[in-house]
Amino acid sequence: MERVVKLLLKLAFAGVCGLGLSYAIAISTPYWFKPKTEASVDSTDATLIRQGEYLAHAGDCIACHTAPGGKPFAGGLGMQTPMGTIYSTNITPEKDTGIGGYSYGDFERAVRKGVRPDGTHLYPAMPYVSYAVVRDDDIKALYAYFMSSVPAVRQDNQPTTMPWPLSMRWPLAYWQLAFAQPRHFTTTVTDAQLERGAYLVEGLAHCGACHTPRGIAFQETALADGANSRFLSGSVLEGWYAKNLRGEDTGLSTWTTAEIVDFLKTGRNDKTAAFGSMSDVVEHSTQHLSNEDLTAIATYLKSLKARDGRSPTWQPKEDITTAALKAGDYSAPGATSYVEHCAICHRMDGKGAPRIYPALAGNSMVFADDPSSLIQVTLAGGRMPKTPHDTMAFTMPGFASLTNREVADVLNFIRNGWGNHGSEISEADISRMRHEIERKPKHYVPGEQK
Amino acid sequence: MNKRSLTLTGAAIVAVAATAGAFAFLHEPTLDAPAVDAIAVLDANGKRIGDYRIPADNTIAAEPNADAIRLGQRLLNETARLLPANVGNGLNCNSCHMAQGKLSDANPYINTTNSYPSFNPRANREVDLTMRINGCFQRSMNGKPLGTDSTEMHAMLAYMDWLRQGVAKGDKTAVRNAGPIDESLVPDPERGRTIYAAQCASCHGAHGQGMKDQAGDYIFPPLWGDESLNIGAGLARTYKAAQFVKYAMPPAMHLEAPLGAGGVLSDQDAVDVAEFFTHMPRPDFAGKVNDWKGVKKPKDARY
Repeated sequence: MERVVKLLLKLAFAGVCGLGLSYAIAISTPYWFKPKTEASVDSTDATLIRQGEYLAHAGDCIACHTAPGGKPFAGGLGMQTPMGTIYSTNITPEKDTGIGGYSYGDFERAVRKGVRPDGTHLYPAMPYVSYAVVRDDDIKALYAYFMSSVPAVRQDNQPTTMPWPLSMRWPLAYWQLAFAQPRHFTTTVTDAQLERGAYLVEGLAHCGACHTPRGIAFQETALADGANSRFLSGSVLEGWYAKNLRGEDTGLSTWTTAEIVDFLKTGRNDKTAAFGSMSDVVEHSTQHLSNEDLTAIATYLKSLKARDGRSPTWQPKEDITTAALKAGDYSAPGATSYVEHCAICHRMDGKGAPRIYPALAGNSMVFADDPSSLIQVTLAGGRMPKTPHDTMAFTMPGFASLTNREVADVLNFIRNGWGNHGSEISEADISRMRHEIERKPKHYVPGEQK
Repeated sequence: MNKRSLTLTGAAIVAVAATAGAFAFLHEPTLDAPAVDAIAVLDANGKRIGDYRIPADNTIAAEPNADAIRLGQRLLNETARLLPANVGNGLNCNSCHMAQGKLSDANPYINTTNSYPSFNPRANREVDLTMRINGCFQRSMNGKPLGTDSTEMHAMLAYMDWLRQGVAKGDKTAVRNAGPIDESLVPDPERGRTIYAAQCASCHGAHGQGMKDQAGDYIFPPLWGDESLNIGAGLARTYKAAQFVKYAMPPAMHLEAPLGAGGVLSDQDAVDVAEFFTHMPRPDFAGKVNDWKGVKKPKDARY
């Protein structure tokens, strides 16, 4: 018995020493793994500031760093993770609660390397893994813009709702060692437009943060197009499926370059419309980008090849739905609910109304690999982004009032109607999404503190 | 108990506890739709005597006259396409009776069966529901009446009768046909023209022409011109149109099912835009000579 106790004591001692060593290594990483690089930036240079403002749109900083109804860039937006809610931070140039005290080196290290001036490691909710490839000149422009032109707001940052010990941040050092190596933008493409597209998509636009599948440690499984072809092949975040953007069946094979540009510029095209998280992306980011940059992004996305085993084109079935509905044949499961709740806007032919009501026929969101977005928009509704390109921005109402059986039936009807085909949605899928919607984080919007 | 069995027992307890814990942590109870909202059923004195719930269409199949109800539903939804001999323009019954007549403030059919026969001031006599429906065909749909005893007329009546879900004649549900509007407001059609361009033209067209689909059927009905309602229609009157515009238009503005409709315009906005589009050119109504005979006309009467 005495021997067992001794062994346990030894193990405990070794454990404490190991933990202490791990901690010491973790808090030392900002000094050797991610050191600061200072440079002088003229924050009064009007051209540089304008460039920085444009790049801030490209990086979509405002979308996450502003709570709904809160002050721009003052933080407080809650982001849902399996462990709890993380709140975005105040990145206005306010001295005490924002980034007003940041040197260029502090700013650069936070944006590209995910480390705060005090050495705290940032959660990868901040897409520093993508921003890592943003070029020095662009980071300098961003710094000039934030320091000179964003109105300072005094607003304290909110702690996460994660319980201890999950709330400790130092283990993130190891996550960063494994998944967030400092790196530069490299590409094999030689065409200038494709290169620009790749630079924006991989970097500031951080498309992969939502559209690339994540691994067991929440790391993006690809940061650029490469051998494993997982880059931008679709992923689920907060119950929204960010669609497959690769040149394959359910990806962007059914989209033309012009349709992608139109979608990013205006939040809609003749076939579909943005909703959910993508609506925010268009409203805050892509609508502000130049046509040249949007074309570069679209051209680059269209260059992504199909994965092994996937078809580069979409093969629709024959449309037997339109004729059946117009003949009054509602015998297919879900057809009656479709006519009752959906057909007034999306129509018997499933084509909707161009730029007003999205088509369901041939819409790659409808037959997406993962139906999460389809389910969530049906239960909770959605809003198109507001842009100056259209006078009206429309919504889809939420149909949480329908039973799980009705929602599953009508979605399977839509997902397999008018030539569409996709995997079957179950009642349990609908129930799961109701939980997901109930778990949506609360955002933090205070009155300004004195 | 030897050491080995002690270890095994301990391991078993830990395994059971871990499994139970994981199950408790990961298992979520099934979440389903909330109960359907109850709407009060009121007797002739306004006393609540029961509840009414808007029925889902997938309950039609269980009705003995399911075929008639289903046909009625189709005819009300797709009137112009299915009854071209009776509809003289691009409108369907449900262009105005939105969401299949199940939506408050958008001319629901829920109380319709129980509201007729009734005295109609415009006709200055009692009219039954068949006459009322044919009034719509000749005015709002600028066409010809359906045969009073036709299959189609009976089908429409069957749908409306199904929709009341057995609420007895003499009683009504607390559903509103149209919301209130301040009729003392003086309409400004020029202001209405601006509102129309900003808030209506996306769907109904810059020239009120509506929008058609690829098969030539209207997605959004025309608001004036030869394909729109004639001056004999209720919606050709400023304040009636304003009620509809304020509460039922535009759709797809918010997240509330079924249509996310209305709640965008103020009373003045609605009155102005209603004045503007109702007074744009539209078909005449020959039967107008028989209207408002011997009764005081409303101030927005067209003739």
